[in-house]
Amino acid sequence: MMAGKCGKTVLVVEDDADVREAIAEVLSDCEYKPLHASNGAEALQRLRTAEVRPCVILLDVMMPTMDGWQFRAAQKSDPSVSDIPVVVLSAHANGSEAAAKMDAAAYLAKPVSLERLVTVVERFCGVEQG
Amino acid sequence: MTDSQARPAFLRDAPLAFQRIREYAIFLLEPDGTVASWNEGAQVIKGYSDAEIIGQSFSRFYTPEDLLAGKPAEILSRASRDGRVEEEAWRLRKDGSRFWADVVVTALRDPDGTLRGFVKITRDLTARKLAEKALRQSEERMRLMIDSVRDYAIFMLDPTGRVASWNPGAERLKGYTAREIIGHSFERFYPEQELRAGKPRLELEIAAREGRFEEEGWRLRKDGSRFWANVVLSAVRDERGVLVGYAKVTRDLTERKRSEEAVIERARQQAAVAQLGLFALEHPDLDAVIDRAVTTVRETMGTELVGVLELSEDGKSLVLRAGCGLDVAAMGRVPIELDGVAEAGYTLSSAGPAHLDERRFRMGGFLDAHRGGSRVTALIRGSDRSREAFGVIEAHSRTERAFGEDAVNFLQSVANVIAAALERRSMEEQIRIAEQKAVEERARASQIREALRERDEFISVAAHELRTPLTALQLKLQTVERGLKMGTQKPAAGSSVEPRLEGALRQTERLSLLVERLLDVTRIAAGRLDLALETFDLAALVRQVADDFREPAARAGSELRLEGPQALQGCWDRLRLEQVLVNLLSNAVKYGAGRPISMRVERAGERIRIAVTDQGIGIAQADLPRIFTRFQRAAPLRNYGGLGLGLYIAKHIVEAHGGRLEVSSRPEHGSTFVVDLPIVAVRAAGPEQAAARVRA
Repeated sequence: MMAGKCGKTVLVVEDDADVREAIAEVLSDCEYKPLHASNGAEALQRLRTAEVRPCVILLDVMMPTMDGWQFRAAQKSDPSVSDIPVVVLSAHANGSEAAAKMDAAAYLAKPVSLERLVTVVERFCGVEQG
Repeated sequence: MTDSQARPAFLRDAPLAFQRIREYAIFLLEPDGTVASWNEGAQVIKGYSDAEIIGQSFSRFYTPEDLLAGKPAEILSRASRDGRVEEEAWRLRKDGSRFWADVVVTALRDPDGTLRGFVKITRDLTARKLAEKALRQSEERMRLMIDSVRDYAIFMLDPTGRVASWNPGAERLKGYTAREIIGHSFERFYPEQELRAGKPRLELEIAAREGRFEEEGWRLRKDGSRFWANVVLSAVRDERGVLVGYAKVTRDLTERKRSEEAVIERARQQAAVAQLGLFALEHPDLDAVIDRAVTTVRETMGTELVGVLELSEDGKSLVLRAGCGLDVAAMGRVPIELDGVAEAGYTLSSAGPAHLDERRFRMGGFLDAHRGGSRVTALIRGSDRSREAFGVIEAHSRTERAFGEDAVNFLQSVANVIAAALERRSMEEQIRIAEQKAVEERARASQIREALRERDEFISVAAHELRTPLTALQLKLQTVERGLKMGTQKPAAGSSVEPRLEGALRQTERLSLLVERLLDVTRIAAGRLDLALETFDLAALVRQVADDFREPAARAGSELRLEGPQALQGCWDRLRLEQVLVNLLSNAVKYGAGRPISMRVERAGERIRIAVTDQGIGIAQADLPRIFTRFQRAAPLRNYGGLGLGLYIAKHIVEAHGGRLEVSSRPEHGSTFVVDLPIVAVRAAGPEQAAARVRA
């Protein structure tokens, strides 16, 4: 029933390996192509070296080395990637406020349901869900 | 004179002239006293006509008393003998009334000496006599009046200053009788000093020159005592203006002067009390006020010994709190029975001032060493109901002295100032306690707020930490569920149900571990961090934990080095120590990523040290004290997740073993955490200690 309409790239920026892996699995199941980054610095690296521009970035807030805020600031200042929409993904109680301040395109509160995760990602990747 | 023809005419006419004189009774008597002639004056004065009296005896002019005394015959006999008799005496008129007569009787003799008769000239002096009598009565009244004056010394001085008269007032005032003093110089009334200055003479000079001299000054009594006198000295002159003496009026003003001095003394005492009161207002220190009170009493009352005796807590003894002339340091407690026999005890029990009366009071305690002289004591009231009396203040003069009402009132006023200072101190103490309570309440409120904030943060952090594995768990379970709904169709290339279930299981383990840590916090707070002690090889445990961390460390770019003995047997809680080691190593990997991490185990006597050293971001000196408290991490929360409970729990685990967890660190150079443990765990951390940390 699930048609192969995906194939687009999604950058997942998440320090918790288990969470990152779970999200990637869901995206892969839906035939997206997940790119992994465990912090902001890695995410910037991935963006600049990726062969395919991701159509959306799933961004955790609290991460070591470079957190979501720092990443977002850096992304915005780089014209080549500044237009990629960012979906903030946070377990923090004030996550939606943070998302608004970071000028995020959407906010997903942890724990997030599979359905909601897929719906939001599809919205930015222009993929209809079957 | 013998030849009548040769006499001038007026002399010849003299008998006729005498006959006409009305102011004098002029008549002749026979040698035996028979009236021989009678003139108009005699008729006027005595009331008889010629016919009635000529030929009668002159004795009828005499009063019955004179007749009884043989006066008529005596007069004639004296006149006959002496040639002339003059007298003033009462005589009778014809109508029996009396008149005061000046009588001159002259004997008439022949040239051969034969007595021929007498000439009698009588003048009526009744009017003059009455005037004289009135004057005498007036003088008598004056004398009586002066004699009756007892409050004034009224006396006369002669021009040289000798006492000429003396009234009873003078006797009473100065102590001399009239007999003792009349004729003596008034200089003896003056004190030696004024005598030397020539004061008495000067006063006479001024009175003589100006008519009057007045002054107040000290004078002496006969017994040598002094009195304060008001003296008025008036010059007395006769009708020609010649100084005949001085009138001196002296009044004793000693009482008035004494009361004036008392007024001055009272004013001085009131000023002293006012100054003391002011001092007490400006100086909150009670001892300073008491010392000042003692000095004030000594200076104002002039007493050599002054003491403030404080009643002991049990109310059975007095302690010398301050004093002058008394050795405060050497004086011990003075047992005072409040029986009204010891003076201070009397003052304490009666609340009234006591004068020293050796027959009535004994002094009590060390004060018996200061017997003699005069004393007065006053009560110092206490500052609250539980202590009605603070003690007594006493003033002691070494010499006998009469302490008047003013002195007693003054001492009581000083005692009242001390009592007011006590009350003020008591109120300030109450205010201080109230303020202290308010501060404590504020601190407590602040602690509660802080505890609430910590709890909120804990809940927030705990929720965050729990959501992370929950996210992974939920996604994995939902993909599995979705896969199962899809039937046999495999979700995606290379994925299958089993590994996803394993992943989900791992998340539940993470979750239960988190929950376990949260429970640890609750256990520590409740003082119930129980240890399951067993004997095992700690060196082996360290090796095992280090091995577990080798891979994560390598992933973080850190090499993990371990130094230590092969075996270290001891008695500890294995799981809890493993928890500590895992916490320290995970921190080292987290904050020291990219740099080597070392573990060093060593034994020193009966203790074991495990040091974990990283070369990471380090901890600022200011942050060191709080890293072991709950929900604290020195690093910013947004960079480093986690509950912030690890070190808090680790420290309590180590302390529960009777050990210590210590840290040394330099920012940008790294940190070293040292676990210091006894070989055999001593359960040192009691529940109370842990319970004391419970706030929320």
